[in-house]
Amino acid sequence: MSIKIKKLLSDLQDYYILSFKGLIGIFRKPFYSKDVLDQMDYAGAGSFLIVMIVSLFIGMALSLQLSAELASLGLKMYTGKVVGISIIREVGPVTAALVYCGRVGAGMASELGSMIIGHQVDSLRVFGVDPIKKLVTPRILSSIVMLPALTIIGDAVALLGGYYIAVFVSHQSGYVYWSSIRDILDFENVFSGSIKPFMFGFLISSISCYMGLTTKGGAKGLRKSTTNAVVFSIIMIIISDFMLTRILLYLLGFSL
Amino acid sequence: MIVFEKVSFSYSENLILNNISFKIGEGEKVAILGGSGGGKTTILKLIVGLLKPDSGRIIIDGVDITDLEEDELMEVRRKFSIVFQDGALFDSLNVKENVAFCLREYTNMTEKEIDEKVDELLTIVGVEHAKYYMTDELSGGMHRRVAIARSLAVSKPKMFLYDEATTGLDPVNALNICNLINELSKNGTGHIIVTHRVIDALRVADRFIFLKDGQIVLDGDRSILLSSNISDVMIFLSELKQIS
Repeated sequence: MSIKIKKLLSDLQDYYILSFKGLIGIFRKPFYSKDVLDQMDYAGAGSFLIVMIVSLFIGMALSLQLSAELASLGLKMYTGKVVGISIIREVGPVTAALVYCGRVGAGMASELGSMIIGHQVDSLRVFGVDPIKKLVTPRILSSIVMLPALTIIGDAVALLGGYYIAVFVSHQSGYVYWSSIRDILDFENVFSGSIKPFMFGFLISSISCYMGLTTKGGAKGLRKSTTNAVVFSIIMIIISDFMLTRILLYLLGFSL
Repeated sequence: MIVFEKVSFSYSENLILNNISFKIGEGEKVAILGGSGGGKTTILKLIVGLLKPDSGRIIIDGVDITDLEEDELMEVRRKFSIVFQDGALFDSLNVKENVAFCLREYTNMTEKEIDEKVDELLTIVGVEHAKYYMTDELSGGMHRRVAIARSLAVSKPKMFLYDEATTGLDPVNALNICNLINELSKNGTGHIIVTHRVIDALRVADRFIFLKDGQIVLDGDRSILLSSNISDVMIFLSELKQIS
């Protein structure tokens, strides 16, 4: 048992060191700008369509559920407000992060894992290139830039999906829907929703890079590290979302 | 130049190297032989500081590298040029970019100079026609040749380290790689080749170290290897008899 605890603590320490060095690497030379752009292209442009599709249907489903429930209470005109708050503060960032984790996080872990197995990371070290600076930093930087961007786009598409249901299915006024949305786009809500993707992007990229770079064995090891990257990222997204929500509600003066 | 003093190394609980000691001088051509999983590749990784021994000391040119940090090891690594098993080329880059990797990283060469240098290196190893191939378009032999070209771009190493450079290749390609290894060591640069193919070891080395159960059971020249009556060595030598 004590060996397992020691191993867990040692792994945690290694993860903290890797993620710290990866983050600090953003501000230290050399800057691998081409690698950052490649990662941004893969992570951002590559995930764009998936985030749009998922967000559209999440927005429509949310709007359907809320319209039905609020209609029974005679509060249909609040659909836009409730849908908007849910999406901007909570559902949008988490949905984009989960999609990003499934696509990009898994890709990062498997790519770095196969580089470990194929001795490519050893080659970098022998050539005097810091693997964290070359491989981890560009992935962290691209994630903390692209995930917030994807979240904003995803939020907009989800609100559009909600609008479609509210107006064409639930027969509400489009003007009321959009004016409710405009009302909730204040500093508190926007700040609350926009701070989360930065944290999620950092967590997904650092966890996935750590899992990839600690791959052991062959195909089986690669499968394990890719699975762990996705599973641990999802768990950390959900836990950190709760903690951030609690902190932000306190900081922004919302009373419970 | 390279000194191993009572070095032991284990992966998890598997003892790979058990208290081994040897010295390899500058310009020596050494083959490390032994069965799979016998610790041959581990020795190469220990030499360049990719792994740390559990106990013992490793001294390179008088410097004890055993406890050096990653950035302190850079100076040591520049003395070597290592070609990993299967080449370890960066599979996201084409041949030209693989060979140019270190040139871009460490020199201020212009694009034209890099292009000329890559051409020169690819011509040395005989794969100039594959300059724009992706790594998955290369055959096994071409893979090793490009890896050797990339290792030549690093700097002028004191010693080449080859990990299973001929394993998995057909006899013609294996012979060509051996000739290339000999060609590159003509100017007095030494090399250590790790292999389980005795025939290739005899082609490129003057000294042979045989590993068994994590220990050195034979260390000597060609005549000592060929006259050995150690059972495992004899099994390896039977490959030669089959060929003859």
